[in-house]
Formats: sequence, C-alpha cells, structure tokens
Amino acid sequence: MSGRYDVIVVGAGHNGLTAACYLAKRGLKTLVLERSDWIGGAAVSRELYEGWTYSNCSYVCSLLRPEVVRDLDLPRHGLQVIPYESGATFTRDGGYFAYYSDHDALRREISRFSRRDADNYERYARAVMRQCRFIKPLLLRAAPDPVSNRPRDIAELLFLGKRFHDLGDREMGETIRFWTMSIGEFLDEYFETDVIKAHFAGSGIIGTGLGVYSPGTAYVLLHHYMGEVDGTIGAWGFTRGGMGGVTQAMARALIEAGGEIRAGAGVAQILSKDGKTKGVVLDNGDVLEASTVISNMDVKRTFLNHVEAKDLPDDFVKAVKRFKIRGSSAKLNIALDGFPSFPAAPAGAPFLKGDLHASESLDELERAYDDWKAGRWSSDPYFDMLIPTCIDPTMAPPGKHMMTVFVQYAPYELASGESWDGPARDRMAETVIAKIAEHSPDFRDLILHKEVRTPWDIEREVGLTEGNIFQGELTFDQMFFNRPVPGYADYRTPIKGLYLCGSSSHPGGGVMAAPGANAAREVLRDLGMKVSGLTPAERAA
Amino acid sequence: MTRYDAIVIGAGHNGLTAAGVLARGGRRVLVLEKNAGLGGAAAGYEIAPGFQAPRYAHLLHAWHPQIEKQLDLAANGLSFARRDLPTLALAEDGAHVVIEGGAARLLSGAAHPDAAAYATLHRRLVRFAGVLSAKLLETPPQFHRPDWRDLASLAKLGFDVRRLGAADAREFLRVLLSNARDVILDEIGDGPLAGALALDAVMGGHTGPRSPGTALTLLYRLAQGGGRHLPKGGMAAFCTALAQSAQSHGAEIRRSAGVAAVTVENDRVTGVLLDSGETLGAPVVLSSLDTRTTLALTGVEHFDAEAVRRVRHIRCKGATAKINLALSGLPAFTGVDPDDLTGRILVAPSVQSLETGFDAVKYGELPAHPALEVLIPSRLDPTLVDGGGHVMSIIVQYVPYHLKDGWTAGARERLAATVLDLLERHAPGLRSLIVAQDVLTPLDIERETGAPGGHWHHGELAVDQMLTLRPVNGMARYALPVGGLYLCGAAAHPGGDIIGAAGHNAARQAMKAPQTKTEGHAA
Repeated sequence: MSGRYDVIVVGAGHNGLTAACYLAKRGLKTLVLERSDWIGGAAVSRELYEGWTYSNCSYVCSLLRPEVVRDLDLPRHGLQVIPYESGATFTRDGGYFAYYSDHDALRREISRFSRRDADNYERYARAVMRQCRFIKPLLLRAAPDPVSNRPRDIAELLFLGKRFHDLGDREMGETIRFWTMSIGEFLDEYFETDVIKAHFAGSGIIGTGLGVYSPGTAYVLLHHYMGEVDGTIGAWGFTRGGMGGVTQAMARALIEAGGEIRAGAGVAQILSKDGKTKGVVLDNGDVLEASTVISNMDVKRTFLNHVEAKDLPDDFVKAVKRFKIRGSSAKLNIALDGFPSFPAAPAGAPFLKGDLHASESLDELERAYDDWKAGRWSSDPYFDMLIPTCIDPTMAPPGKHMMTVFVQYAPYELASGESWDGPARDRMAETVIAKIAEHSPDFRDLILHKEVRTPWDIEREVGLTEGNIFQGELTFDQMFFNRPVPGYADYRTPIKGLYLCGSSSHPGGGVMAAPGANAAREVLRDLGMKVSGLTPAERAA
Repeated sequence: MTRYDAIVIGAGHNGLTAAGVLARGGRRVLVLEKNAGLGGAAAGYEIAPGFQAPRYAHLLHAWHPQIEKQLDLAANGLSFARRDLPTLALAEDGAHVVIEGGAARLLSGAAHPDAAAYATLHRRLVRFAGVLSAKLLETPPQFHRPDWRDLASLAKLGFDVRRLGAADAREFLRVLLSNARDVILDEIGDGPLAGALALDAVMGGHTGPRSPGTALTLLYRLAQGGGRHLPKGGMAAFCTALAQSAQSHGAEIRRSAGVAAVTVENDRVTGVLLDSGETLGAPVVLSSLDTRTTLALTGVEHFDAEAVRRVRHIRCKGATAKINLALSGLPAFTGVDPDDLTGRILVAPSVQSLETGFDAVKYGELPAHPALEVLIPSRLDPTLVDGGGHVMSIIVQYVPYHLKDGWTAGARERLAATVLDLLERHAPGLRSLIVAQDVLTPLDIERETGAPGGHWHHGELAVDQMLTLRPVNGMARYALPVGGLYLCGAAAHPGGDIIGAAGHNAARQAMKAPQTKTEGHAA
C-alpha cells in the first residue's frame, strides 16, 4: 500500500478519529491507521465470548465533549448515550449506601446515615459544581506557555487570569484549595459517614497512581465529574452497543467526510527529514507520505518507539522518559448466565443498573493504594462494577447479562517479580471475584466467561503504556502547560508537522475527545486554514 | 491597667522575633509566656544534672540571615558552634554517605556513584528555592483587588522565574507541584542519599515523599541553600539571644504569665486577661499560638461562622516525636570515626522506607522503621555537658499523634525501644550509655508547646494550606478578622521550622496598620 495524504493519523482511538473527522471535514485527504484489526482503541466493543459484547476497556460515557458530539453529528451516526441515574456501595454488614442523581432522593438516602451529612451535601455539591463551571470552558482551549512571549500565550494567560480573578476573593482561594487538596480531606470537611465518603472518593482515584489522601485527587474527582449526559452535569451513561458505539459513530462520520481508515495496518516508524515530517512506514514496510502526521499513541510510545532519537532534541527525549505513565488499574469483563442477586438491595432497586462498589471507608481505599505502592495488587480492591445490560440489552443474549468491573489497584510490575501473563492474573481476578461474591451469593455460579485484563494485557492489546488509562498521570506536574512536556503543551512536537492528539495531551484522559479536537485546531492553524468558529470556545476567545 | 502598644502571646522564637521587630519600630511591647522558660519549640532544658539538651528543635535550619541582622543577634550573644553541619546518612549495608551541601561522597572516601547527578539536582533545587525564598519575608499577596505592593511582588516573582531562562523556568513550573520522590529518583538512585534529601521534604509533616506537593516543602527547606547551624550554647542560647535582642530595645518579657483570654470591644482587641486575673491593655495583640487556640482565646463569637468552620478544618496531625538522651560517653558507630559524628546523623535508608513509614502513620500505627535525625550537639559544643558525657537529640519522623489504642506507658516504651533498636544496629551498646531518657510523643509536644496535634508547623505545610491560604482562605495576611489581632507563629505564612519569618512578617504587618502606637502611659 502506498500513497500520499494530507494527514495521517496513527491510531484509531477516539481522539485520533476525532482529529481526523475535523480535518477531513475541512477537505484534507485524511487517513487513519490502526494496528489492531478493530478500531476504537480503548473505546471499543468486542465480542469476546459468543453472543456477548464487552466494552472491554472504557465502559461508561460522560466526558465526551458535547461540542464534539454536535460538530461531528455523532447522534446521526448512531451515538446514543443512556444515563444511569444511580449507583451504590454495599457494606459488609449487609447494608448499602445508594447514590441518586435525583437530588431529593439522595438527600433522603444520606439522611438514613446522618442528618448532618444530608445538610452538608448541598454545600458539597455546590462546591464541586462551581469547580465544574470554572473548568469546563478550559477543556477545549490549548494550554498557554507561561514562559513564552508570544501574543497568543500572553492573551491566553490573561484570559485565564481574568477568569480566575472573576471568581472573587473567596472563590479564588477555594479553587486553589480544591485543585491542591486530596479527595479524602475534601470529603472529610463535609461528611462524617465513612461509606458515603468512600462512595464519592472512588472517582478521585480511578485510573491513577494516587491514593484518596494524595493531594491533587480532588482535581481527579472533578475530572470525572465535569462531563454530562443530555445536559445533566456529572451524569454518566451507557453507550448503546457499548463504548465502541462512540468510535463507530466517529468512524462513520469520518467516512462520510471523505476520510479513510485502515485497520490491521500498524505503523513502525514516523518519518522525518531535517526536522520536517515526511510520513510513516508501516509494519509491512509500506511507505505512506504525508506532511502532517498526528499520533494518537501516548507520548512515550510515540517518541521512544516510533521516532528515531537522533531526530529529537536530547532534553525532549529526557522529558518524555520522565513523563509518568504508571499502570494502576485492572479490568474484568464477565459474561453472566443471569442477573446476580444482591441481597442487600431492596427488590427492584434502581441503583442496580448503575455503578456498584464495595469499599466502605477512606482507610480501606488508602490501604488498597498502599498495596499498589508496594508492588502488589490490592488485597481489598476498589472496584467500579456495572451491568450495562440492564439498560442496553443488546450487549448479551436475552435474559443473560454482561458485567464490567474496573479495579484499583494493580501495578504494572509485581514486586514478586512474577509476570502478569501467568497464574498471577487469575489470582488477582479471584481477589476481585471473591469480594463481589461477598455481596452476591450466586455470582460465581453465573459466570460463563471472564476476560481478565491486567495492566500488562491492556498495554499489549490496546497500546496504552503500562495500561494507564489516561496516557499519563493526572498530577499537576504533568497537567496543563506541563502536559506532556513543558514547552510542548500545544499538541506540537519538535518535528514540524508531527502532532500528538491523545490523552497524553491537555486536558488529559477519559473518553473526552478534547485532545483530538484541540490538536485538529492546531493543525489547521499551522496549515494557515481558518480556525475560528470551530468550537464554541474558539468563538468565545 | 498597664498599657502597651503591642502584646505578644508566647515567647517562642516567632513571638520573640515579632517583639524584637516591634521594639525596634519604637513600639512598647510586652511578651507573655505561660511557662517559666522561654523558647517554645526552640527551648533547651537540663535533661539530667549537668546535661543541657534541646527539648524539641535542635538545629537552626533556615534561620533567615536578614532577620539575624535586623535583630543584631550576634551583638546579643548569638554565636555558632558550627555552621553548615555535614550530614552522615547511614546505610543498612555500611556504605554510609557524607553530604555537605551539594557534595556527596561515601564515608570510606570513595566517590558516590550519583555524586555528579546529586550535585546538579541540588544546585537546581537551591536555585529554584531561591526564587521562592524572597516570598518568605513578605506578606502573601492577595489576588483579589491586589494593591501595588502585591502586584509588585507578583511581578517580581514572575520576573525571577523568567530570569531562570526558558528551560529552567519550565522545569521550575513542572517541579513546583510535583512530589519529592519523583523529583529525586528521576535523577539519582534510591538509597541513603535520596532518603536524606526526601527527609528534608517530609520532616515535621504528615506527608510522604510520594505525596504531590512535597516538592514545594523540599524547596522550602532549601531556602538559603539548606544549611544547618548549631548555636553555641545550644538552642537555649539562641532563645536567650532573641530575648535579649528584644529587651535591649525596651521589650518586656513576663514568664509564668499565661493568657486566659484576649479582650475585645467593638470588634477590636483591647488587650488580654491573664490566668492570674490581671488585665493588660493594648490595641494590638500578636498570637504565636495556633489559629484554633487564638480564636478560642478571643472568643469564637467574634468571628463569622465560615471563618470558624475553616479554622476547624485546618489539618494539623503531627507525625514527629522527639527522644532526648543523656549519655555517659560518646556512642561508637560501627565503621564511623568519632570525628565524623559532628554533623547530623540520619537513619533514612531510602525514599521507599520513608513512604512505608508514612503508610503506618496514616492508620495510627507505629512504623517498624521510622526515620531518625540524630544530633550529638555536645560533640561540637562541649559547654553543654559537665564532664565527659554527651547529649543525643533524636527527631523521630513518622510517629502518629493518634496512636491506635492510645499513648499508654507501654506504647511510649515501644516507641523508645523501636528507636533505640534502630540506632543500636549502627551503634551497638548505645543503651548501656544512657543516663537519662525523655520520650516526647506528638501528644506530649502538643501538651507542652500548644502546637495542635503536636504539629510543629501548627498546620500542615500542604499546598492548600500555604501562602495565600495559610492558615485559611481569608486570614493569610497575619491580620485576623478582629481589629488589631494578628497571628505571628508557625500557623501563619511561611510556616514553622526555626525561621522567624512569621514573627517578623506579622510584626511588620502590624506596624503598617494605623493606631499601633498608643500614648504609652502606664495606668
């Protein structure tokens, strides 16, 4: 295969597809190359057991930028997200705490545990919402370089400064606090009930190499909260057909816009000469030419595996090597012969359709993190367990179910020296299954098939370094103008015409499509094409 | 009623510094100290007849040279037994490391494999710390409606950052909110050298080297290059010099005079009420106590609910204990020449061991291997001991304030045993030299010094409790919401350690406000 393109995107993850869509719509001859036989990266649905569709990596949707959904007309191409409106944490004493997106229902539920907490919930929700409102417009803007004198950067710094200042005295301080606090300490200020805190704290550590008491995790909670479904901020939902529904819709949009996708076509090398992008070489040796190449791979994979070191400045390579991408999560995807019973839940409880957990205190979560630091999988893990088939029956045969279990924590390298590709995988899975079984007596017997994904498996299959779902830790030394490399936070790289569009770039990970959209904008800018009007944020600037 | 221009509560080093600055500003100052002795957390005491020991803090770490000059401490009796003490970082395998500033070598004299990388890292960090160190002696700027001074301060900071050069400026902004572990282990291997540097980031705090924000506390400790100095006569002599410096300009210091309340009228302070029942008048009161205690003394009804709530949430769980020993002779450390015992001796074998220590403390447990900073001040200053004995001062990092099952006598013994066992691994026979022993848990430190949680910063030095957020959002410029009331201790910017900046800055802030001079007559 050979050919010339205007733009080649390496990796058909959701960000790569997004960037490709925006560029194809502007008439650029765009090709997306994907190593695997299927597309979607970590936003994918796979039939790994006959009759069952697994969202075997990402599993729920919220952060997908509504601007991108609208710009690419994704609903017309089949994207349908159905919110699940509640969830729960089961406790060892046979009880539970349920979360309802209905404010009054939630208040009543919290009152079951503590009136004080019920009263404080209003303040807590308002505080988080304020932060969401502050941050949302910043997601679809490139981060400024605080050290440069370029008018664009200075203008952006002033914009951010003004936005910050407009919060007012009190809120400015509270914002700085929120962004630097741990989720554990933040929750300790509002709630006294352990299980309530534990329930909320989970989204502060999902996908991270941090604990609930690590500073900066309140921000991670925000990161998971600032999405929306149908305009409800903070809501999460299932994509019909699994998370592959997102990338399939994007792929259809791309084809309609005149773009091309090739699966089973891995890229071996990104070519450049004299600091300028020339194209790519495929695994099979074919050469494809393009003066613009956008990589959806994480920054380490891109530069340490697919670009020759001699083409890059030394300190850039050093900075890339230093960028922290630490695997900390595992996943179990399970085909069930029926719906498992949860005796703690009242009959017909709506929250069984949502996110289920079994960690009942911040200490328990913190100890799970300590295990990870010591190079072990958590003996008492945190999990985010859902049964999407309650809402989307298309994922399994009638009457059967599919369960997705996201687990914190599992290290990429085990301190024991054991490989994940062996008995350790099943032992880790058993830890998780045993914990679920504590709350569901018939669960084990219903298991028809399970796919266990350790950080090693995720890396191998999806191409995410160490299986880190964010393509890099979401800590402030690696966020915003520090992401992925200080001085290169604007999607560009030391090679002219080579860009990054994945979660290693601002604003980070989750199925957001923001990095992809932002990268496309910068590409257009460099090609001298008009960018105004591309996104509402751009129109507002 | 006796009237003063300003009353300072607490004759710790910050209170005495504030008094010294105020007195030099022409104010009539009274310092009130609850205890019979001065010095607060910088106090010295006689652990056994003829043995002078530092009770809590044992070295001057980042004592600000500008303050030293301003208070004429040299003229008031301060001299040093040794400046810039070296560090001996003990290794479990005997490959001990000697660190002097940015230079690291093995005790054996051989080169340390990471010496060059360490020197580069240290130099860079000191440079970065230098950018921030100017802020230590400034009132934190306010971001909302900043006045010209705030803008100038912010502009200078921006300018200083840019002056680092583009590459270093970017690195500064990256490192600023990073964690000590990554900053250190990105450059050198884990071991006693890395452990020593990481200890600087976490000592005195309830935090581990992996916690984001510890890069900032590391920079805090490296202000002025990070040198450590031992005053001649020990910490007691340092406090005496501070007191004399204030008194030489007319400040009065009253001991055994505890404050029962700060008196308030029409939202302004009018003075204090002593435990003895005596009232003293002043339009300005500076408290070197922690924020919660200060509010309680003043009466929480004078503050709005939001302020009280915020103060209630200040995190101040201490994680540091102290063990003081009087020894009949110099302990012999295996493989270490007695001449190499003149610096501080660390048992912090790796960054990993520090993190493990912190893990235990999180749950109220005592770690198997807490980190130790050991000093034998009598080695450098023989005047501290009559005869041939020595004192050994041990700061134990990672001892929980809330110990599971409580600080019983048995628990204290376990703490002492853990520490002595650790030390005897390097200095066998240490126990046989012990003449007297004092174990101070964080709970004891709280009881004796008033530091909440026994936390020597009076409030965690975490990014969300620093600078414009210290002690809380809205109270960061030393002035509390009641007129004439100021915080001048570790609870305020920039925090604790023996720096004197909080006292100095608060005094300056207090003098800026109108009405800080009365007509100054005794009633």
